[in-house]
Amino acid sequence: MSALVVDKIRKSFGALETLRGIDIALESGEFLVLLGASGCGKSTLLNIIAGLAEPSGGDVRLDGRSLIGVHPKDRDIAMVFQSYALYPNLSVRRNIGFGLEMRKVPAAEREKAVLEAARLLQIEPLLDRRPSQLSGGQRQRVAIGRALVRHPKLFLFDEPLSNLDAKLRMEMRTELKRLHQMMKTTVVYVTHDQIEAMTLATRIAVMQGGQIEQLGTPEEIYNRPATLYVATFVGAPPMNLLDAVATGSGLQVVGSDTAIPLPPALAAALPRDHAVKLGIRPESFRAEGGGLPLTLTCDVTELTGPELILSGSIGGQRLVATLPPRTRAAPGETITLALDVEALHLFDVESGRRIEAA
Amino acid sequence: MSGTWITTRAWLLMLPLLIVMVAVIGWPLADTVHLSFTDAKLVGTSGSYVGFDNYVRLVTGNAFGRTLYTTTFFALVVVTTEMCLGVLAALLLKQQFRGRTLLRALMILPWALPTVVNATLWRLIYNPEYGALNAALTQLGILSDYRSWLGEPGTALTALIVADCWKNFPLVALIALAALQAVPRDVIAASYVDGANAFSRFRFVTLPYLAGPLMVALVLRTIEAFKVFDIIWVMTRGGPANSTRTMSILVYQEAFSFQRAGSGASLALIVTLIITVLAVAYGTAVRKVAGSAA
Ligand SMILES: Nc1ncnc2c1ncn2[C@@H]1O[C@H](COP(=O)(O)OP(=O)(O)OP(=O)(O)O)[C@@H](O)[C@H]1O
Ligand SMILES: [Mg+2]
Repeated sequence: MSALVVDKIRKSFGALETLRGIDIALESGEFLVLLGASGCGKSTLLNIIAGLAEPSGGDVRLDGRSLIGVHPKDRDIAMVFQSYALYPNLSVRRNIGFGLEMRKVPAAEREKAVLEAARLLQIEPLLDRRPSQLSGGQRQRVAIGRALVRHPKLFLFDEPLSNLDAKLRMEMRTELKRLHQMMKTTVVYVTHDQIEAMTLATRIAVMQGGQIEQLGTPEEIYNRPATLYVATFVGAPPMNLLDAVATGSGLQVVGSDTAIPLPPALAAALPRDHAVKLGIRPESFRAEGGGLPLTLTCDVTELTGPELILSGSIGGQRLVATLPPRTRAAPGETITLALDVEALHLFDVESGRRIEAA
Repeated sequence: MSGTWITTRAWLLMLPLLIVMVAVIGWPLADTVHLSFTDAKLVGTSGSYVGFDNYVRLVTGNAFGRTLYTTTFFALVVVTTEMCLGVLAALLLKQQFRGRTLLRALMILPWALPTVVNATLWRLIYNPEYGALNAALTQLGILSDYRSWLGEPGTALTALIVADCWKNFPLVALIALAALQAVPRDVIAASYVDGANAFSRFRFVTLPYLAGPLMVALVLRTIEAFKVFDIIWVMTRGGPANSTRTMSILVYQEAFSFQRAGSGASLALIVTLIITVLAVAYGTAVRKVAGSAA
């Protein structure tokens, strides 16, 4: 039985349909990341799970129990907010223990739980401070402590790291991963940062326009994106998309005479002259070695340090490749790069869906 | 550009304002202080120097103590009631319901009315012969005979307090409502998830955001209530039997009814002193509250 089931959840604000039938089933201990652009309905879904908003339709079940109509405090769910949402005039100690205090947990037991959470998060020296006397990162730890201390069945995180600077964000990311490995509680985590999603998640749900575009492991999302949207949303620099036509045995890149042979199983899935989008991740190019050769015109090269970002074109279609820093490429010249056939992604132009081998 | 030149320029720029302030505040104040040490009448002689006689006579006389008590009582009751009513009204008007906008606008009305209009309105309500209060209470069977609410020493002050509360609670409500808008939604949401009930939510989430602004309202209202004049003057003129006489009314009586300009000035200065002490004490408190809420 799944720990958390989100069943055909819909939500409308007046005429605006924000969630259009969300289905998720999570095993106990999973770390689900809801990934999507701003306004796609991530927070709305999280609020519905937490009980802070009523769905217009559908059901949410936690360990088999429907949560519809259940008060947030009775759901056995803890939530961490982007703005930390600490109680401004309570000490860190009371902030962390607030949920227990409200549940009439005896003071001694509460103190023990607070100390344990504080120790885990390394904020013991801060226990007697007010939130206003803490840095952003410390506040976020307190907010996480407030959630941990209750030992809930489910943790909800709404962009908990987005108010932190880049360095702290990385540290806290690792910290969260460590905490999850230790506690093994089910987590639903909202972010629009794909690195956070890839590193933290056991599964990622990519959302767009109130729907889930793809639900899968980080590897599946990255290696086999189900739609054009997922393909371009995950990965930086984003996946190159070239217009191409099926030739029967392979593909022809539009505007050029570059022909790309395809494995027979994949070629068979494509009727002749069928228009497709050919997706190639910038990082699947190699400067040398075996594989499929691909010749492009180099326009601009940018050296970032660990890699060289090459912008070029094939038949007038722009594309980007990330290459080893010592690759020799001069603007205006042509360069031949190598590709693995497995690194090719094909999408139907009309539906935007991935084309799989027949 | 040297620091002294900047300072000099600042003084130069402020000079016109300083001159005006000295002219309209400083000079009358100095004159009042001077007057308070004389036995000057309102008309006629400029009086002669009498030292602290005015002060001693006033403070030891029986009118002063009683008036100070009446004023303090009035201010205390009025301010407490207005703060409570104001916050309750604000919490109510924060809820989502039909007609909220209309109700919010209506609520401001008593405060927006000129005090004289408001006072006249309440005099009508309290009128012993055709007042609405008498009519309502007798029709409800609570009262058997019409009463003169403002004409009896036992009820006049209470009647005034009701009128003043009705007029001034909207100000508190307005300030509280503005402060309520500033309570972050996430903190409220967190308190739901943490299982806080309505009271705890108010106590630990809402109140900290209200404290600073409410303190300001408290200061404003206490000082205003302490120097109250117009509403009382229109409704009772301090009567009956001096039961509604507050400090400002006493100053007026002393200076204008009894034409004792000298001791009127002394009394005015005493009131000013009390209010200054209040203002400073409150100012310190405000800074403390604001500091701890930040
Ligand atoms: N209370 C509300 N009333 C009306 N519309 C709302 C309300 N809450 C959210 N919406 C709308 O629902 C859509 C989704 O909002 P939501 O907050 O879930 O987005 P999000 O994915 O969390 O975005 P972000 O990454 O910016 O936080 C938005 O278009 C928003 O305008
Ligand atoms: Mg959001």
